[in-house]
Amino acid sequence: MNLAQQLINGLVLGSGYALIAIGWTVLLGAARLVNFAHGQLYMLGAFIAWFIMFKLGLSYFLSVPLAMLALGLMGVLLQAMMLRLVMQQNLTSLMIVTLGFGYVMQGGAAKIFGGDPERFISPLQNATIRFGEIWFTWQDVLTLVGTLLLFGVLWLVLNRTRIGAVVRSVAEDPKLAQLFGINAALVYIGVFVFECAAVGLGAGLVAPRTPILASMGFDEVILTFVVVVLGGIGSVGGSLLAGFGLGMFTALFGALVSPAYTTAAAFLVLLTVLVLRPRGLGAK
Amino acid sequence: MNLELEASGISVRYGGNLAVDGIDVAVPAGSMVGVVGANGAGKSTLINALAGWSRGTPMVRGSVRLGGESLDGLAPHRRAGRGLVLVPEGKGIFADLTVMENLALVRPPTDTTGRHVFSMEEIFGLFPRLAERRGHKGGMLSGGERQMVAVSRALRAAPRVLLLDEPSAGLAPRLVYELLATMRTLVDRGLSLLLVEQNVRATLELVDELYLLERGKVVARGPAASMKNDPRILEAYLGSLTT
Repeated sequence: MNLAQQLINGLVLGSGYALIAIGWTVLLGAARLVNFAHGQLYMLGAFIAWFIMFKLGLSYFLSVPLAMLALGLMGVLLQAMMLRLVMQQNLTSLMIVTLGFGYVMQGGAAKIFGGDPERFISPLQNATIRFGEIWFTWQDVLTLVGTLLLFGVLWLVLNRTRIGAVVRSVAEDPKLAQLFGINAALVYIGVFVFECAAVGLGAGLVAPRTPILASMGFDEVILTFVVVVLGGIGSVGGSLLAGFGLGMFTALFGALVSPAYTTAAAFLVLLTVLVLRPRGLGAK
Repeated sequence: MNLELEASGISVRYGGNLAVDGIDVAVPAGSMVGVVGANGAGKSTLINALAGWSRGTPMVRGSVRLGGESLDGLAPHRRAGRGLVLVPEGKGIFADLTVMENLALVRPPTDTTGRHVFSMEEIFGLFPRLAERRGHKGGMLSGGERQMVAVSRALRAAPRVLLLDEPSAGLAPRLVYELLATMRTLVDRGLSLLLVEQNVRATLELVDELYLLERGKVVARGPAASMKNDPRILEAYLGSLTT
């Protein structure tokens, strides 16, 4: 086993996990909501970007922001439909409703894009960089840099701006926030749009690694769940740490033991961490 | 008399329980009006209903006018934007945000006609302690400091009428008098204030007019000077003064 190569693989994998999970982290932290259609949003983001690139003929670098825009608009629509439940913090109904949205998205995508796997190929995917026996692609660099940039900007916005303080205030007490003149409904919509757009970015950067299928999404939800819980609910820094940690673990476990058992092993790590640190790695 | 706040026929029902029963209340411009009553009389329910705010889902009826304009049907954040600003009982600030972040959450209104926008300097002049604690998170503050932040936050919103719900709850008597005296100073400078309090003695010394609530209804109302001699007030709250 080439340890350095596995560490690089772990970093790349981890940045993808963190990127896909960040929307959920903010949604759960700021709105105390879960979105079980997260995986299907990832799938849709990949297919929309693929459609823009291969059916409309636009470049990869346009297809990703346009997919983010499309998912953001979908976020407005979904949140408008769920807003009453969100304002009531009716979590059980929301869980079922988002699961339902996920199935509708999956069925709709299969109908529109077909049931066969497609290749969403980034022009950076085959551009490799080599240092002796270690190699990675420019797509890996883009994913890593994109993830670090997004997390950095998000951390700054949440912790150093009034918008961030507004989001944190709604997270703590949406009723009280109303008395500060804050429209909690608008904040919920904004956070949901961010979640959708962020998972769109994740799909645009990560999905080129594998064939895309209308039935995909479940694995992404599971990994997102692990990252969000490991990192500590709502913790941006914790999610990044958990994403990289999970990526490293997956790469090393796959190389040293077997790729077949990485998900089971990842959950074992999750259980161990939660026993030792019940509020996750990012908890203070 | 120029009424800054005028509410009529306010009723609040929680399921089968009528917590407030057809109350009329008014706050003249630049005056301090007190609402007193025993626990469960409906004081907090009334003041929350005026702000259109509640932690539950009550059925509210009645009409609220601020500066002559109807606020009926407006969400709490819109009423706050118009200048009807509530400081609720108990937790009135965000524990996870610093003092400065709590204060900066409020956006002063764009139309400030007839309203005074309190600058940070004025806020820290009123409550010097907050200047020292500006970087501390709300959860690290004492009860008195939290109340100061809650009131300051409301002042930053340039209230036409400030609704203050039991600011004395959980505070040492000295702090209560200091806080209420500060409020009186602001009223003397033109602020209109509706104060809900259990501390009848302190309230009577500071307010211009007093409402006495019992079981969701106004049972007595009048200028504070005359209410001091109302037998219901004397009997229930100021008995020790008559001995």
